Amino acid sequence: MSDLPLPDPDAALTRPFFEAAERGELAIPRCDTCRRLVWYPRERCPHCGGDALSWVAQSGRGTLYSYAVVHRALWKPFADKVPYVTGLVALEEDPAVRVVTTLVDWTPGELRVDLPVEVVFRPLRFAGSESSAVVPFFKPAA
Amino acid sequence: MSTAAADWGRSVELDDVSHRVAIVGVGEADQTQASGRSARDISLQAIERALEDAGLAPGDVDGLMTSGGMGDQLLPEDFHAHFGTSHDLWISGEGGGMAWAATAPSKAAAALARGDAHVVLNVFAVSWATQRGSMRGGPGEFHAREPLKAQLELPFGWFPQPVYFATIARRHMHEFGTTPEQLGAIAVACRRHANLHPGAVLHDKPLSLEDYLSRPLLVDPLRVEDCCLISDGGAAYVMTSPERAHDLAKPPVWVAGVGEGRSDAGLYWSQQRDFTSTPQVFSAPAAFRMAGVTAEDVDVLTLYDPFTIVALMQIEDMGFCAKGEAGAFVEGTRLYHDAGGLPYNTHGGLLSHAYVLGIAHVVEVVRQLRGEAHAQVPGARIGVYGGYTGHLASTLVLERDA
Repeated sequence: MSDLPLPDPDAALTRPFFEAAERGELAIPRCDTCRRLVWYPRERCPHCGGDALSWVAQSGRGTLYSYAVVHRALWKPFADKVPYVTGLVALEEDPAVRVVTTLVDWTPGELRVDLPVEVVFRPLRFAGSESSAVVPFFKPAA
Repeated sequence: MSTAAADWGRSVELDDVSHRVAIVGVGEADQTQASGRSARDISLQAIERALEDAGLAPGDVDGLMTSGGMGDQLLPEDFHAHFGTSHDLWISGEGGGMAWAATAPSKAAAALARGDAHVVLNVFAVSWATQRGSMRGGPGEFHAREPLKAQLELPFGWFPQPVYFATIARRHMHEFGTTPEQLGAIAVACRRHANLHPGAVLHDKPLSLEDYLSRPLLVDPLRVEDCCLISDGGAAYVMTSPERAHDLAKPPVWVAGVGEGRSDAGLYWSQQRDFTSTPQVFSAPAAFRMAGVTAEDVDVLTLYDPFTIVALMQIEDMGFCAKGEAGAFVEGTRLYHDAGGLPYNTHGGLLSHAYVLGIAHVVEVVRQLRGEAHAQVPGARIGVYGGYTGHLASTLVLERDA
């Protein structure tokens, strides 16, 4: 694993998530049998045991379930990004699905739990490297 | 409170070992900042002190429990090389610190009953302060290597542990009105106890609630003072059967109850359905039932406290107060050793005593029940250690003879 936390295109279980992000979609696996969303990705549906799952584009809307404001970077790749806001987005389609994200385009006064947010696709980069990958960030909803 | 409806984890069925195993010796290694010592050397120092405390010789030990999940822990050959012994040792990797510091006695009791061993050591040590410079995220390294976290969490900066628990703390604040002052009350109580404990890493550093509130936010809503130390150190305890326990140097401290609970979300905290609870809701009731006690009977409580919020949630989840009410519960002096409330982490805990992952918490409970603690709770007879390791929680109820 490289020192930079960029998504690994060879990680089979999560590759469709980042491929969808390249297309501008927030995709989450859904069980073909019981039609429930399954998160994190896995081989079988934890709800009904079904083994056929399909990645399905979601609205990209949700609420900020909770978050942390990182003031002091606890590891190097994020040293030049502080302060940054990272947390969990509960999706509109199923709030039990919580997607880990970095919040972007925020102002201090609007941060709150349950803030309506929407997805935005941008390249993730780290200082000192040319590498990047498009990932789903979230921003306060318009 | 009701936990009957909790469906996001389960209680692990454990055999009834109540009063079938006793802790008869305890020892702590020197708890320090970076010291250059190895975890194995630290373990051996803790063992020497635990055996001396019990009045036992290395040759009496025929069972050794360590943390099988960690590569640098003591091996039987280390034990023999150090003590000049060569006899057979029953060994188990289901010991050590964290949740296992509470459940090791359950496994030891089974070994004693089978006759596999007669005197069993449980030992744990870390040299993480020494190793800190070379590790990717300190204790976070384990999580950084987890494949789904590496793909779905790390790219977004949701790492390492202070970030997880700041996120959990914020949701707890939102749902229940918990305040920074209330988290601070936990940190202050731990520091006060460490100030009374000469072996605590932060023995010489007082902390008032005003001090706490004036400190900068590390990962909002948490401050450095909400987070455990990183230190070098360790501890050990000696277990034996009831028959043998009565003949040793110190009065036995009985294992009265053991519990274990697991969250279905595994290590993916982000997906744990009840985001603001710990698997103590599945562990503590079983341990209290085995021991025949209730939360009201507990004279002294130690909790695995990597962060103040983890202690706060466990206080609720073990039934010391209703869910969501621990914030108000911990305010003021209630957690102090001498205030007649719920004496808590009377050695200073992971926050202020040493980051030895819970094994010293068990040592502290034993000392409290013997009347040997630095911040002694008058007349303590029943003590509890609550262990916590991500998706696992465990509960150990200890009791002395009346």
